[in-house]
Amino acid sequence: MGPKKKYSERIERVVNQLSESVLGLSDDDILAEVSAAGLDPEQEAKRVRNVLEKPLQTLEKVNLCLSNLGHTINPSNWYCGPLAYYNTCLHCGLSVSVTIATAEIRGSAVQRICRASDLMIRPTGTVS
Amino acid sequence: MSHLLSFIQSGPPQQPPESGPPPQPPTEPARCINVAQRSALLVENDKSLVDILRTCLEKEGYAVRIGSNTEEAIRLYREFTPFRVVLIDYCVPQRDGIEIDCCAPQTQAIELAMAIRKIDRGQGIILAAFDFQSASEVPRRPEVMDIPTLVGCLDIPQLRRCLEKIELLRAIRALTRAEELRLQEVAKFRIYGLGRAACGRDWQDLLSEAFSRTVLGVTDTKNGRHWNKNVDLVRHLTEAMRSIASSWKRQFVGEENTYLISELQTRDAEGDDYSLFDNVASGHIPADQRLIEQENEHRVFASLRGDQDATQVLEAWMDGFRKSEILTKCGLDEKRYDAAVRRIRVKLLGRRS
Repeated sequence: MGPKKKYSERIERVVNQLSESVLGLSDDDILAEVSAAGLDPEQEAKRVRNVLEKPLQTLEKVNLCLSNLGHTINPSNWYCGPLAYYNTCLHCGLSVSVTIATAEIRGSAVQRICRASDLMIRPTGTVS
Repeated sequence: MSHLLSFIQSGPPQQPPESGPPPQPPTEPARCINVAQRSALLVENDKSLVDILRTCLEKEGYAVRIGSNTEEAIRLYREFTPFRVVLIDYCVPQRDGIEIDCCAPQTQAIELAMAIRKIDRGQGIILAAFDFQSASEVPRRPEVMDIPTLVGCLDIPQLRRCLEKIELLRAIRALTRAEELRLQEVAKFRIYGLGRAACGRDWQDLLSEAFSRTVLGVTDTKNGRHWNKNVDLVRHLTEAMRSIASSWKRQFVGEENTYLISELQTRDAEGDDYSLFDNVASGHIPADQRLIEQENEHRVFASLRGDQDATQVLEAWMDGFRKSEILTKCGLDEKRYDAAVRRIRVKLLGRRS
């Protein structure tokens, strides 16, 4: 084992142990620990929930936006780039990119109607 | 097959209105429904849509019950439960009643529960998915498919993926406050462990990335991380964060090659400046990467200076010892060990104890 690997592994082990110790804490202990750190558990939990709900909301927004413009994407074809996720319309080939962290949706597919589709649905928040 | 289809098309016999003795559950002819066969409830009054969906479902091996209105749907459900798939016309009157009656009590058995709607011009079908556990839920529409896609692309798995997304949403909404806080702490430690390899990312970026990959994993097992519902979601996300943090670190090591000497200047316990290069034997390549690791380690120990138990535990962790071994090696009892671990958690995140 070379020194490089050793150093790399040492920090990794510490973080692994810390993660396990957090997962092993009782509900009361984790709440007490966060409170003791001067943080509001309720607010912190809310921040976590917001972080978790954002990706679903963003991806849903993309689907809605693309469908309103008549595009069809293969949900299995999302390409994970270094900064964003990419996909293309199966019919016209226009592309779309999504940055989850900032909820940014870009690409020609969200600016233009699918040429291969004569379907145009008015944008709506719901399907009602 | 023809008798089966005719039975399905005509539906089970109508029950009389509530008078006299309570109606007995109908006994089904054995030839019509195999007990082991999966059954689907389709509530739709548009015949063309019924034909398409029934064909799809039957192709998948489902025995299909068809109801054209709310009352019929609820009756079918009560007579022939459990259903594995429930597809409900979005526009059927009192649809909420069907969802609550038919879906909530047997959520575990249902593979798929969707509301469906035909869009204008009859060119496609919009599939809208609902969280059936909450009657007031705003309709969600994660997928839109046209009829050829629906028929040609094997719709049941596609629809099932929609349900998986709903289940993910349910799962994150079901997280307790303590579970959410655990996720936050784990994310913070992973970012701490990355040091400068985090490149400005914070715990929210890491957690968001982990969950994004999980959402993508519903449809894309190559790029995404598929969540096995038998695994606790907190545990799944924890593992996802570990994996993503490792990949960020690899990217950093691969991309970053240049550091200023001044960046590697630090101070020892006595407050004297020294360079991390001083501790690295020459000839080892790549020295800069090793220096970063070493810097991280210094940072970790520096935060625990003066705390002997915590430092001992930390060293033992770094050397790969387990808790039982650490207790023996360091002469600690459980209480002192747990207290030391707590102090490590507090100090590394820079919190007041």
